[in-house]
Amino acid sequence: MGRKAKFDETKKVKKGPGRKARKQPDPVFKKGLLDDDKEEKKLSHRQKQRAARRVKKKKEIVEKKKALKEAKKNVAKQQEKIIPEESDQSSGDENAQGFTDDNKEWLKLKPKNKKNVKETKAHSESEPDDVSEDEEMSEEEDEQGQESEDGDDDPKVEKKSGKESYKVGKLDDLFVDTDDEQDNDEDNEEDDTNVSNKMTYDSDSSEKDDDDEGDDDDMLPIEKANIKLKKKQKLDKKLADEELQLNIAKQDVFAFPSQEELDNPTSLQDIHQRIKDVVTVLGDFNRLKQEGKSRCEYTELLLKDLCVYYSYNEFLMEVLMQMFPVQELVEFLEASEVARPLTIRTNSLKTRRRDLAQALINRGVNLDPVGKWSKVGLVIYSSTVPIGATPEYLAGHYILQGASSFLPVMALAPQENERILDMCAAPGGKASHIAAIMKNTGSLFANDANKDRTKAVVGNFHRLGVVNAVICNYDGRQFPDVIKGFDRVLLDAPCTGTGVIAKDPSVKTTKDPKDIQRCFNLQRQLLLAAIDCCNAKSSTGGYIVYSTCSILSEENEWVVNYALKRRNVKLVPTGLDFGTEGFVKYRHHRFHPSLKLTKRFYPHTHNMDGFYVAKLKKFSNVIPEVVNDEEEEEEVKEGEEVQQNGDATPKEQTEAIKAPVKRPAETNKMEPQNKKSKPAGVVNREKATNKNKDVKENTKETKQNADKTDEKANTKNEKKKRNKKKNKKTPVSQSEQGTQNTKQPNVEVNENKINVKGPQIKVKENTAVKAPSVALQSKIELNQKKTEVINKTNDITENQIKSSPGKNKNKNKKKNKPALNKAEANAVNKNEAKITDKIEIAASKKLKNKKKKKQVGQLNDKKSGGSKPSNASISNKFNKNKVKKN
Amino acid sequence: MDIVNEILEKEQKKAEKYKPITVEKHLELELDVGTLLAFDTNDLDTKLLKSDNQRDAYLQSLARDNTQLLLNKIWELPTERIDEAIVVKLPQPTTVLPRSKPVPKPKPLTKWQEFAKAKGITKQKKDKLKWDEQLQKWVPLYGFRKAAAEKEKDWLIEVPQNVDPMTDMYEKKASEKSEKVAKNELQRLKNIARSRKVNIPRVGLPVTSDKANATQLSTAAVVAKASTASLGKFQDKLPKEKEARGKGVHELIPGKVRKRNAPIPTPQMERENNLNLIDRILNKRPKIDMDKAVSKHIHKEQVQRSEEKKSMKPVKGKGKAKGGNVTNFSAKKPKAGKGQRNPNKKNPGRKRR
Amino acid sequence: MKVLSETRTRVLFEKLTKYIGVNVKLLIDRPDGTYCFREKKDRVYYISERLLQLAQTVKPDHLISAGTCFGKFTKTNKFRLHITALAYIAPYAPYKIWVKPSAEQQFLYGNHVIKSGLGRITENTPKHQGVVINTMSDIPIGFGVVARSTTECRHADPLATIAFHQADIGEYIRSEDTLV
Repeated sequence: MGRKAKFDETKKVKKGPGRKARKQPDPVFKKGLLDDDKEEKKLSHRQKQRAARRVKKKKEIVEKKKALKEAKKNVAKQQEKIIPEESDQSSGDENAQGFTDDNKEWLKLKPKNKKNVKETKAHSESEPDDVSEDEEMSEEEDEQGQESEDGDDDPKVEKKSGKESYKVGKLDDLFVDTDDEQDNDEDNEEDDTNVSNKMTYDSDSSEKDDDDEGDDDDMLPIEKANIKLKKKQKLDKKLADEELQLNIAKQDVFAFPSQEELDNPTSLQDIHQRIKDVVTVLGDFNRLKQEGKSRCEYTELLLKDLCVYYSYNEFLMEVLMQMFPVQELVEFLEASEVARPLTIRTNSLKTRRRDLAQALINRGVNLDPVGKWSKVGLVIYSSTVPIGATPEYLAGHYILQGASSFLPVMALAPQENERILDMCAAPGGKASHIAAIMKNTGSLFANDANKDRTKAVVGNFHRLGVVNAVICNYDGRQFPDVIKGFDRVLLDAPCTGTGVIAKDPSVKTTKDPKDIQRCFNLQRQLLLAAIDCCNAKSSTGGYIVYSTCSILSEENEWVVNYALKRRNVKLVPTGLDFGTEGFVKYRHHRFHPSLKLTKRFYPHTHNMDGFYVAKLKKFSNVIPEVVNDEEEEEEVKEGEEVQQNGDATPKEQTEAIKAPVKRPAETNKMEPQNKKSKPAGVVNREKATNKNKDVKENTKETKQNADKTDEKANTKNEKKKRNKKKNKKTPVSQSEQGTQNTKQPNVEVNENKINVKGPQIKVKENTAVKAPSVALQSKIELNQKKTEVINKTNDITENQIKSSPGKNKNKNKKKNKPALNKAEANAVNKNEAKITDKIEIAASKKLKNKKKKKQVGQLNDKKSGGSKPSNASISNKFNKNKVKKN
Repeated sequence: MDIVNEILEKEQKKAEKYKPITVEKHLELELDVGTLLAFDTNDLDTKLLKSDNQRDAYLQSLARDNTQLLLNKIWELPTERIDEAIVVKLPQPTTVLPRSKPVPKPKPLTKWQEFAKAKGITKQKKDKLKWDEQLQKWVPLYGFRKAAAEKEKDWLIEVPQNVDPMTDMYEKKASEKSEKVAKNELQRLKNIARSRKVNIPRVGLPVTSDKANATQLSTAAVVAKASTASLGKFQDKLPKEKEARGKGVHELIPGKVRKRNAPIPTPQMERENNLNLIDRILNKRPKIDMDKAVSKHIHKEQVQRSEEKKSMKPVKGKGKAKGGNVTNFSAKKPKAGKGQRNPNKKNPGRKRR
Repeated sequence: MKVLSETRTRVLFEKLTKYIGVNVKLLIDRPDGTYCFREKKDRVYYISERLLQLAQTVKPDHLISAGTCFGKFTKTNKFRLHITALAYIAPYAPYKIWVKPSAEQQFLYGNHVIKSGLGRITENTPKHQGVVINTMSDIPIGFGVVARSTTECRHADPLATIAFHQADIGEYIRSEDTLV
């Protein structure tokens, strides 16, 4: 036979020994036999990391222990010294409360100062401490004298500035303003130096402490401490007296706090006091107001204080301020701090209220019926047992449910043998209430979008013995695709929860306009879905109840109003005999008059969570075609667009929304601008002083950019064209554009304002700007080349210019609002339209100053790029600078 | 001249289409032609990289330039022309490419190798062929023709003196050989086991997984049982035998067809069915529940006694006075208690279902 | 929502008869409409025919529960009654145990009923009979299995277990997630 010939070259035949040997496969062992313990496993990456962390932690602990030990040792050594030090500081703090905030630094500083003096003395002369301390006393008194003088000065300054804000129409104001600011700056500088002093003292003291120890041996530490303590007490008393007098003085007439005071907030009590004062002042404004202060200043102050005191974010507080008058607002906020009384609902499927009350009283629960309006509610005042774990609770005789949650079900008024839908059911309180009223007949669909939360529904339904329910987990918006034809639909829509702040205080700070937008968009869709689910032809029903635990109009009336337009529904009385009527008009919104039939509930008036209930009756199953109602269209678009526009920073949005806020009081409209106008004026004047220099620089720049003039010229032409177009347009159209671009629903406010005041503004602008423009006439030729640049940024400059002439102040302010609101680019365009060439040039001067100082590099960039977006960004930056300065 | 110009223009146009082959770089590229690798150590233009619209173009041009440089380098190498194709022999690569897999571990030593290592025994190479004096020829040490040589050599085997004369020496030799092989195999397995840290029993081989587990066995049993002409219908069952269950088992068993889901019955039918089922459950022939019977009996007795007690009450006073009655009564009581305390012993009975 | 297979129905009914005896018929034979048992993810739901029709419009993935959950089938094909079935078992159960108020809490934490906590027990309760456990104020709080017959109870020592805990309403809090 022989070997096989090697015909196939690709198949490599193995060479070498054992080629033909039968290779046995390795044996397979049972898993149980393998003992992996012996083999040390390699640690995975994560495990290594964890191990490293463990080691680090151990080290840290060891170090901490060491440090603690050392600290203990030190404490033992230095105790005598530390105790007086601490007391010193504490007294300093107390002192600080009696004084205005800017003096705080001084008072805090003193003890260390004193100690320093003392130490040096003790070191050099070894005099008894008493003498040195006497000296300190005198020093301190001197300082206090100064401080009190300072304190006296402040209100004067304030008054001056207040007057300035009021007397308008002089360019000189600008100068005064800057003086003021310079003062502030000086103050700040002083503070800074103080701080630095303090720093040096600190560094010294540590060394000197050690020296001190050796010298003071002749006196026992306790004796020393005693002496010091006595002196301190004396001092405290004195200070306290002064403070008392100061307080009394304050109570007589509420003095509007100075800027510094606002910047360095003191204790919460002070703020609370101030809130009270401002509220009283606002209550009788004409009599109690301080000369030269406008209402808006007070409200602005109140807003800030309320935000600080109740720890709300400014946006939410502002919205609330728009809803309530001031007194009521404080009541509301106060009520929102306190939790509502715990209420339970008797499960009428299993027991009666009387029996339940008896059983609970036997368990040591103190309760009462919730009110005449409900036959199943009980209020728990106090309880010796956990109310959520009694055998009665577990047996399903009652459920913990807020009193406000009864309302939508009562409004729904379910009948037996109906088919009912609860669209957002979790955790099942309202749905089980419905089932109880239906006495387990008919059928109940309890839907919730969150699968985890449906478990709570299941638990509650079984506990309460609800057997006619189907629990499902759909997004409510898709529910009409699943099943329709319900007799009644309850929609307790997810909301921002502004009515239940007591339950969830995080609402205070977390909600921004975007959240609300998201909420009401969802609510609208849900409500439409709910209406679609309902069957208008039902003999007994055809009702939809919409409820939220929010008090914001955006989530309530607005949503219902939207549904009224989109579906064949009408509002019917809710059947609730208490609660306040829903808004028919809110700020600039005008809702359908039937919205009066909806009900609102507030924590401070009804002692239940803030709530809103609307009952709708569907009168036709036909879904009407979308009506081309302009306003509505816009609203929808805006809502959608904002959702799409993720790139707009929330900050900008908040600004945008804040600005158009319309206050109930006339004067309030000015409030945001008062502050802004001042610094703007300052900037202008600074520019004026630098003008000569700047102009030269400008010329230089133009030369530099000579090569790019072509490009510029093009863009310039374009812009001019645009300007013309815009000028032709009515102010209304402009503002509309603005609103569209900003994509904020609230911006509509602007429209209203601008519609009225647009033309006036234009006239005033021209007149106002003349003064600076004339002065700059000579430079116009040079600057014309740069008009492009100006165009880009003139929204800012415009603001600046406008703010300078005092006469126009009020009007300009109104103009400023939209300017600020707008997103960068469109703001530029819009404002361009209004500005004459002269203004542009004048603006350019001012702008250049700024640019030269801060943004030369960017400017160049911009020019080289020559593209719009970059311009916009720069103008935006300027805006931001402005804001910062303000 | 027109033609010349035309051609020149054309050429120029063509040239314009392509970029020049010379590329200027601030720092020269590090090239490794062996692996066709080029490292560009120049700084990237971060500004371009960050701008969304220019990034791609920038990266593309960068890649193109670097590739050009690499190709330039390749063109510097000596070229050959093979079958109309220009071929370059690349030099040895200088860059060490990283392994994708870890370096293989050394094989664990066998027991002998360990021992030899410890003793310093080195392997001596043996010649494959050995001169056999008896056969007067070269005989291989193992393998091909070794067996033949052995056969030739051992045409007759002497039976030693001290051995039973009736032993078959050939057989003995064969068995010795097979034992040797077996031992070798055992040692091989042991070595493997040791290297894999397997617990090996002192005696015999470790159990390997080619032994079936319980579920496999039970499945096999069930399948075997059903593999009769009558699909296992007449096979006896063990008292507590369970059908094999699990995924895919059902399909293995012959005669078991996939059940179709029963049609949803009408409500009425379902109700009827359910009621029938309940009836069947409830009407099971009741098993005699001794416990229940006893406790019932005891209860009856107790009731009876308590009634008696009530009726006896007026008499009781007399009895007490007598005294004898009391002792009688009390003597009886523990008995009853005794009986009740351990009813199981008295009536072992059948276990209740 | 599946129809229960016959074996499963049998298992279910056998379990129910342990607790409510002949009254199982009343669950099926109701004057107020047809009720039936349906199975979803091994859970058995007791649901009226009318509601079932509506529930079937909901896709199985989105349906969480419908009607009342009675319990679930274990992997070994046994039926385990859940506390959620108490509403139907309690009124029909022939055998009951009442526990003293002091022992209520004990039972609600999942402990067995011991002699000292026993308030009352139905006469003639046989051993291993399913019973409903009530408070002294007749609130059903769970069910269990009797460990000793009534007669034996009389003579049991105070710490002896009278009824084994099967389910209690404390589970609504303790294991809300696994209820259904």
